[in-house]
Order: sequence, then C-alpha cells, then structure tokens
Amino acid sequence: MKILIADDSRVMRQIVIRTLRQAGYDDHDIVEAEDGADALAKVSSEQPDLVLSDWNMPNMTGIECLQALRASGSAVPFGFVTSEGSAEMRERAANAGALFLIAKPFTEDTFKEHLDGVIA
Amino acid sequence: MTTTDTGARRRASDVRPVITDLIDPATVEAIAAEAWVALIGEDEVLVPLPGELPVDIVSSWVDVVGPWTGSVVLTTARSTAEELSRALLRDTAPAVLDDEDVADAFGEIANVVGGNVKAALPGPSALSLPQVGNAPLVRNPADVCRLDLLWRGEPVAISVQGALPPLPGSTPTRENEVS
Repeated sequence: MKILIADDSRVMRQIVIRTLRQAGYDDHDIVEAEDGADALAKVSSEQPDLVLSDWNMPNMTGIECLQALRASGSAVPFGFVTSEGSAEMRERAANAGALFLIAKPFTEDTFKEHLDGVIA
Repeated sequence: MTTTDTGARRRASDVRPVITDLIDPATVEAIAAEAWVALIGEDEVLVPLPGELPVDIVSSWVDVVGPWTGSVVLTTARSTAEELSRALLRDTAPAVLDDEDVADAFGEIANVVGGNVKAALPGPSALSLPQVGNAPLVRNPADVCRLDLLWRGEPVAISVQGALPPLPGSTPTRENEVS
C-alpha cells in the first residue's frame, strides 16, 4: 500500500511516518509532499492508496487539495492530520469527502483508531 | 443640545473580549502538557514554575484571527529550542541541527499548541502558519494569558496575547499578567 503524507513541516512528516510505524503500519511505501499543490500532483503521478494531509499549508491548503481531487474525479481515500480539530473543521472535512480528521497532538492509538480498516 | 462622543460610552459592537475572558491559564497549561507528551516524549513534563529567560531567546508563534485576534507565542532559550527540536525528531535528528530544522520543529510545537488554543476559543477563526523569530509585541497588557514553565529545568514561556491595542476608555478586567 502506498501512503502519501502531505505537510509543509518536514519534522511533522517524520513524526507522522514514525507514528504510522509505531501503530504497526510499517510495511508500506511512503511518499511525501510539502504542500497541497505538491500533494495534488503526486496523487496523479504516484497513485497512492491513501492521503494523510495537513490542513494549513502554503500554496494550496489540505482542504483545497481535497476539493480539487474530488472535482477532478479522484476518489483516493483522504484523511486530515492537523492541529485544528474543532467541530467546524471536522464538519468541513467530512463535507469535502475526508474519511477522518486526526487532531495533533496524536498518539499511535489515535492512528490505530482512525486507520484500522482504512489501511490494509 | 449638542453632545460630543467622548469615547466614554461605547457601542455594543465595540465590546471586544480579552483573552482572560475566554480561556484560563489551566486550560492553556493542559493543552501544552498534552502537546509535550505527544510530541516530545511520554515522560516529558512542563513544571509550572517561573525561570529566568536568558538573553539569547527565540520565539515561535501562530496567529489566530477571529472573534479574538492575537498570537500564541512560545519563547525559550535558543539552546532549549534546539533541545526541543532534537527531542521532537528523536532518532531521525541529524548530528548537527541547522536553523531550518529548529525553526521547523519549534514552529510546529507552536502550531500544535496554537491550534488547540484556537479550538478552545469562540469561532469561526483562522490560524496562520507558524513563524519563528522575535515575538510579536504585547499590544494590550490586559489581553494576555501568560504561563511561565520549566522543561528539563529550562524556562519556557507561553503567551496567548491579543494583537490589538486596548479600546479607548476600556477598563482592564484583570491585572496585567505579564512579568
């Protein structure tokens, strides 16, 4: 399974990768994107099976990326990993077609809770 | 009879909440404590004791723009910011951390703390990308919720501070908490 991780923070991408491994999802290909525009391009070129994306990023935000993907017909499973976990954000994420929203800070248990059933 | 608006009477729309009306220091401390455990490590605690910040400090912050507008600012010694970054990166930390690594890691801590502070405030509001450097100035001493903490014995200050100056004629609701 190929997982695309989009975050403008290289450190946070490392933490997401580390937490995926700690949660037991350690046998997957990881592709990194540094903002929403990069993620949008890499969904096309890399054909990931899942996108884990930050919300707040330069160039293109995570929600804009998701909206662009759905507008282009892509149904790639998409979840947010973001520091903003308010009810309003969760509703916007769900309405745009996100499977889940994991709020930072997260633990490996948070990842298991949201990703079991999504990651084979 | 002609009356002059002296500014003493304000319209209802002029009433602007200050941060101490919206969030208390215990909530900010709980948010920071959770961020520290999740990001820095399970045994990493923030002790609510003041320490003296050295001269060589660095701040990271995010701005919140909404019914309350201001910044969530973390300030610590430059050396502590490096130590925090190393702890955050754990085994992926390079032998030598460059300024970009520290800005990225220290900024991300402010992003996580700030994002959770924002979620506790009235919305809707927007959160900026994190910035690192010299902290924004305190514009209204009555619009500040400041915590002085120790991490591994080193001082870390967290300031949730309004971006706007006090309204003319406004009365601070609480004593200035800035040391």
